[in-house]
Amino acid sequence: MAYADYDNGNEPLSNGWRDWRFMLILAGAALILVSLALPFFSQRISSAKVSFSDGSTITSHYSTLVQGLNLTMSKSPVDAKLDAVDAILTPVSHRRSGYGWMIAILQRPSALRRHLSLVLCLMVPLLAAAAGIGLTIRSQRTPVGLARGWVPAAINIGWGALLGLFLAWCHHFDFSFTLRAQYASGFAPGVGLWGAALGAALIFAGAFSFRRALHENVLDWWALVFVVALTIWLLIRFKPFPYVEIWKFVEDGIVVTLRIVTTSFGLILLVSLLGGLGRISRSRVIYFISSLYVELIRGIPLLVQLLFIWYALPQMFDVLGGLLMSLSPNLQAQGQWLIDLRLSPFTAAVFGLTFCYGAYGSEIFRAGISSIHRGQMEAARSLGMNYFQSMRHVILPQAVRVILPPIGNEFVALLKDSSLVSVLAVSDLTRRGREYMARTFLSFDTWIMVALCYLVLTLFSSRAVEFIESKTRFER
Amino acid sequence: MNRTLNPEIIRIESLCKSFHHGRIVALDNVSLTIPEGQVTVIIGPSGSGKSTMLRCINHLEVPDSGTITVDGIVLESAQDINKVRTEVGMVFQQFNLFPHLTVLDNLLLAQRIVRKRSKAEAQSVAEQLLRKVGIPEKAKAYPGQLSGGQQQRVAIARALAMQPKIMLFDEPTSALDPEMIKEVLDVMLELAQEGITMVAVSHEMGFARNAANRIIFMDQARIIEDTTPQELFESPREERTRQFLSKILH
Repeated sequence: MAYADYDNGNEPLSNGWRDWRFMLILAGAALILVSLALPFFSQRISSAKVSFSDGSTITSHYSTLVQGLNLTMSKSPVDAKLDAVDAILTPVSHRRSGYGWMIAILQRPSALRRHLSLVLCLMVPLLAAAAGIGLTIRSQRTPVGLARGWVPAAINIGWGALLGLFLAWCHHFDFSFTLRAQYASGFAPGVGLWGAALGAALIFAGAFSFRRALHENVLDWWALVFVVALTIWLLIRFKPFPYVEIWKFVEDGIVVTLRIVTTSFGLILLVSLLGGLGRISRSRVIYFISSLYVELIRGIPLLVQLLFIWYALPQMFDVLGGLLMSLSPNLQAQGQWLIDLRLSPFTAAVFGLTFCYGAYGSEIFRAGISSIHRGQMEAARSLGMNYFQSMRHVILPQAVRVILPPIGNEFVALLKDSSLVSVLAVSDLTRRGREYMARTFLSFDTWIMVALCYLVLTLFSSRAVEFIESKTRFER
Repeated sequence: MNRTLNPEIIRIESLCKSFHHGRIVALDNVSLTIPEGQVTVIIGPSGSGKSTMLRCINHLEVPDSGTITVDGIVLESAQDINKVRTEVGMVFQQFNLFPHLTVLDNLLLAQRIVRKRSKAEAQSVAEQLLRKVGIPEKAKAYPGQLSGGQQQRVAIARALAMQPKIMLFDEPTSALDPEMIKEVLDVMLELAQEGITMVAVSHEMGFARNAANRIIFMDQARIIEDTTPQELFESPREERTRQFLSKILH
């Protein structure tokens, strides 16, 4: 059958309530809701004792098990070999069902903090059931018999539920397949888990059979952000050594990177606006100054600019201060101030990035502003508005829509180029990675982690820019 | 209106303007006075300097030499120019509505920030004007959703919202589809009958004949003829005028 047959808008896409695909989905949803009340896990690891060949032991309790167990492996006593790992299992009869686990964890804030991921993993099947029921009900109210918008949600949450259930199962032996192999019988999934998995699979299959009636792709690019973030989390959970340590090490680097990027981006917007206005100014002096700035800065590599600001600028301050002091005795204090002036690494980094990216931004703003028809400015001026009022209320609101896509690209580029500030003794993500690698020589693991962290940030920003863009379109 | 009308609300004295460093002369020593309450239509072939003269009146073009006085204010300093612009409304060939604002906001913007009117006051002025130009139902629409004729009527309303003493029309119907010209001319005709001072560059001879008190023919940067419509259409003095009219009146 040709694709067009699905696309004419009037052809019914389902047989209403009696359609087998809705039946499949409803059965799956019911199965999930029932299964969550059946036994899920009967036991969990409450603590583990690690024994070493020299006779010493280290015991870690559940809350720190992931980190504790694996970190103790990495920090084993010198010259001692790992002898055995004994896990202490505790039965959890009173809260063995899916609902039971969720309620037990949600009741205590302290438990929620530690086991948030388990609750989230258990909630995805519930969401899948909701999406399936929602899809079925909404579909009955549409003329074509299918609520198209709900189908991608049901498909994605359907497979997400399968993944969530698998991860929930991994939680109760703490993602350690070594431990699971030791106590295989203790970690057999309960009947509830199998039932919920089957239910999720039914929802996925039912929703997936509708995919040819869709106009859009099933996977949104937002999914990539989620997948990369999930990869980081899975690395940490499944291979805590060394990823937990790397994560803990570079965590504050992410914060520093974000602080530098957001601070300088704010300043860049300001510099770009001024530079852009300067580039279209009728005053020759202003035009010359802003053009010189743009041309010079664009011709020098960012790394060289940063090195100049960090190493050469203090020397220039010294010379200028000395010059000031020799000029007049009245300027002693000012000269001394200049000699003593030292930029902090953070300030130098923000300054350098702003200076460089402001030049690129100026060109974007210039192009954006001059793309607005000059009749707009004339109309605004003819109504008696002055230059700044016209810019503020008429030209810039229109220019923003032109400027947004390239300036969003600039933001992503800035995020990546901010890794260059690691040469200025700023403890950003890249520098933290380098420090960790220098300490442990785990180059592969370190840089995989750093790369994934950057990837999450950049992918997220691209999607966010796309979203804002879609919200600011208007009819011409 | 009981007060006496200003016989020289616009006074242009020996105005010169050239483009491309003097290579194209748009206005060659043009002088003209326009009394209050009159409707003046400027006609002439393209490139004769009529639009440039109109745009000089509110300083959208900066003259090379000569003086322009509008309602007693000489256009020199930036403040004076802005003051004159608030009293002179302008309607453009390309409408130049603000596409990012609704029709209502197009009418509110300058009232709010230049006239400093309260929102309620500005809104009542705007609604009244939209009724006057015949499209009150489009207040919430965006310019891109309107036809050319509707856009031009909104543009007229936007200029009127400032309650100007003088209205300048720069070929207001040239960019319109033929079937939309009438709705715009009707609005202009209504304004002309209300006694507002109007200067229009236009090729609509019907409008010139019916509404204008005075008609000016320009060619090659100079005023060739300055007379009443009746005289111009029936017994033009200059040979150049006759040639022009024979080409456009068919």
